Amino acid sequence: MRRRSLLAGAFAVLLAATACGGAEGEQASADGTTLRYAAVGAPAATTHDPHGRVGNESDYLRFAMLYDVLTVTDDNGAVQPRLAESWEPDGDDLTRWTVSLRDDAVFSDGDPVTADDVLFSLERIQGKGAENNGRLSAFDLEASSVTGENTVELVTHQPYAEVGGALASLTFVVPEGSDDITEPVIGSGPFQLEEYDDTTAVLNRHDGWWGDAPGYDTLRISALPDPGARADAVASGQADIAGSVAPASAQQHEEDDSVQVVTRPGGVNYPLVMDLGTEPFDDPGVREAVKLALDREQLVETVFLGYGEPGADLLNPQEPFAPQAEPIERDLDRARELLEEAGHGDGVELTLHATNSYPGMEETATLAAEQLSEAGIDVSIEVGPPDTYWAQVWNVEPFYLNSLGGNGFVDFGRMALLADGPINETSWEDPDWDADFTEALATADEDERHALLADLQQRVADDGGYVVWGTGDGIDLAAPGVSGLPTGPGFHRLFIEQVEAAG
Amino acid sequence: MFGPETAPATALPHPRRAAAGDSFLFALARAVLLLALVSAAVFTATELLPGDAADLRASAGADEEQIRHLRQELGLDTEPWRRYLDWVSALLTGDLGTSLVNGRPVADTLAQRLPATLALVAGALAFAAPASLALAWWAGTTRRGRRISTAVLTGGAAVPMAVTAAALAALFSGALGLVPPVSLLPPGASPWHHPDLLFLPVLSMALPTAFFGASLLAGAVADTVRLPHVADARRRGVPSWQIALVDVLPFLLAPFVRVTAVVAGGLIAAAAVVETLFGYPGVGSLLVSAISSRDLPVVQATAVLAAAVVLAGLLLGDLVAALTEPARGRTA
Repeated sequence: MRRRSLLAGAFAVLLAATACGGAEGEQASADGTTLRYAAVGAPAATTHDPHGRVGNESDYLRFAMLYDVLTVTDDNGAVQPRLAESWEPDGDDLTRWTVSLRDDAVFSDGDPVTADDVLFSLERIQGKGAENNGRLSAFDLEASSVTGENTVELVTHQPYAEVGGALASLTFVVPEGSDDITEPVIGSGPFQLEEYDDTTAVLNRHDGWWGDAPGYDTLRISALPDPGARADAVASGQADIAGSVAPASAQQHEEDDSVQVVTRPGGVNYPLVMDLGTEPFDDPGVREAVKLALDREQLVETVFLGYGEPGADLLNPQEPFAPQAEPIERDLDRARELLEEAGHGDGVELTLHATNSYPGMEETATLAAEQLSEAGIDVSIEVGPPDTYWAQVWNVEPFYLNSLGGNGFVDFGRMALLADGPINETSWEDPDWDADFTEALATADEDERHALLADLQQRVADDGGYVVWGTGDGIDLAAPGVSGLPTGPGFHRLFIEQVEAAG
Repeated sequence: MFGPETAPATALPHPRRAAAGDSFLFALARAVLLLALVSAAVFTATELLPGDAADLRASAGADEEQIRHLRQELGLDTEPWRRYLDWVSALLTGDLGTSLVNGRPVADTLAQRLPATLALVAGALAFAAPASLALAWWAGTTRRGRRISTAVLTGGAAVPMAVTAAALAALFSGALGLVPPVSLLPPGASPWHHPDLLFLPVLSMALPTAFFGASLLAGAVADTVRLPHVADARRRGVPSWQIALVDVLPFLLAPFVRVTAVVAGGLIAAAAVVETLFGYPGVGSLLVSAISSRDLPVVQATAVLAAAVVLAGLLLGDLVAALTEPARGRTA
């Protein structure tokens, strides 16, 4: 007996000793002029090269604050100037563009940012096309040239009216000659790198930056792979912002005065992808039956816990030129009818592939399969490991879940919808559509062009292989005093220099 | 009173110091051989993972030609055995290679993160080692309810670390508000200056480890307390704390060191789970993310390092055993 109580006492002493140390250390982090951002990121994927393969959002965030980019999108998805003051076509054919740069941009060592730096950076991005989705493949940079201290002439392969959008958000400018970026190089953005390791970066304000001074002096970015850990970091006051948390975390903190829930509409969507080149999806009736058989409201409620909107199969409903379309209503009778017309009156068997790369993907597959079975579509689910899913299932299997989020429709179309697009995963091959896409991009008048693009997006929604049943909000958590977090679609979320820090 | 208490009637056998040197050399050779085997196994295992760094680094839509070029750039285009030999020979000269993901020296990355993990492992051992001895003592000396004590130890050891971690976080961070739920370490900061950040990960690792260690040690305790000289001391009315200290503990030292070495190895694996859960920047979370990005040099260096630590621990156990273990037919 005595031994046992001694033992218990020893446990208690050890616990208390460590816990006391804890209470002291906790106070140290609150500082009014520091913004602490817990971002998605895993240490081994951390990179300093903004132009190659970037696997971590924490890295993108650091690059967006360290380097100037040519243009950005705003809260509404419209393109705004950043390092580039203007981009104007030379002549009528929309293949030669003069991009004028600000003349007051300087790197953090005081050297001016020149057109040479910009063209060098664009060429470097294009050279690493295999690692960055061919980010700048619309441009013929060999034919492009520096035309002045602060002007570049960019040539596109085809008439391309959306050059401003093509230069948005990820055109990080580095000094000319920065061939090897294994270690950080200097930038001309609102912040400069103070210290870093592979999970944390501390950035200080770059006072020579041309823009409005940021609302805080220091930015600390912590890379945290676990969404729960990011949410906990804000809830416990260890961070001011947690990027991209799960809907469950948002729900948990909805009533909590010490945490703000900030939503970014259209942050994610997990479309069902059907390959038009494979049976039974080569039959438009079957595709329409699948689209009609889903209960989209229920999917949004279950998968995104209501943080989202039911979809009308539009790939990007958030863009300024997206068509106005009502979400598709469930119609099981019509779905069964269509299946019967397609010769599948006795039902049809399918395998839907999914993975758990992102929260809610597996739930999507399970619920979608249940809903489809009510229309006589018998779906078995195969859940693959995230490591191999994007190599072995994506763009390989005829029926699977993809994850899209904030991709611009023009970029997405160029990659995945043109017949010879490099990632045409749905085998969408429509010569008329291709011709109209090319024509839209060659249309100088913005209203006219946007109308054409809206129509193109609607045609894919009606006949294509993407079942965009809904879009989920991107969800960030923030401490009470934080304001001005970007809420626009796509990479807009990275540009946080105007955020007001707490305290 | 039957004579002086410090001189038991049954004389304690003397350790065989003469043989210690030989058996230690043998153990050393065995450790080196094991390390070589581990390095080959780690290399093979990482080779067998589907896809390589070039596949994972290439973005959607990159064509075969571009991926081939990337593979060449990363030095992945030669035969596996050649790459293994290159790797081992570089390793022998102390060169851990460069990361395939960010091109930085692996040694730098490891050096940056090693102190953080060592702090965790040391902290967990400092708690788990005495705790496992105490638990083993309790289980090994309990006469009645033997089955219950065994069940408690195995049960305690079987709780998944993630569950322990969640429960501890809910208690100490959620309910009591004593420590932060996430262990964000500022860059360049020494983990020793942030005991509050160590508390949850250390305890999450230490608790299951203490039970596991205790279940390994309980048998040795039970055997030792039944040795004739212990019974004899008991008959002579020696106080039990003195029996524990003088008559029993010396016999437990060697198994204790060995068990500690084994659980230390387990702790390094546990660090991978716990570091990821608490966002703690150590070698474990590095290993987890390096595997998913197929960053072979990082995976290999980390895994071989972990194996080296375990083998060094076992070697130390052998050394202690050789020096202290009573001559009970011990072999190397």
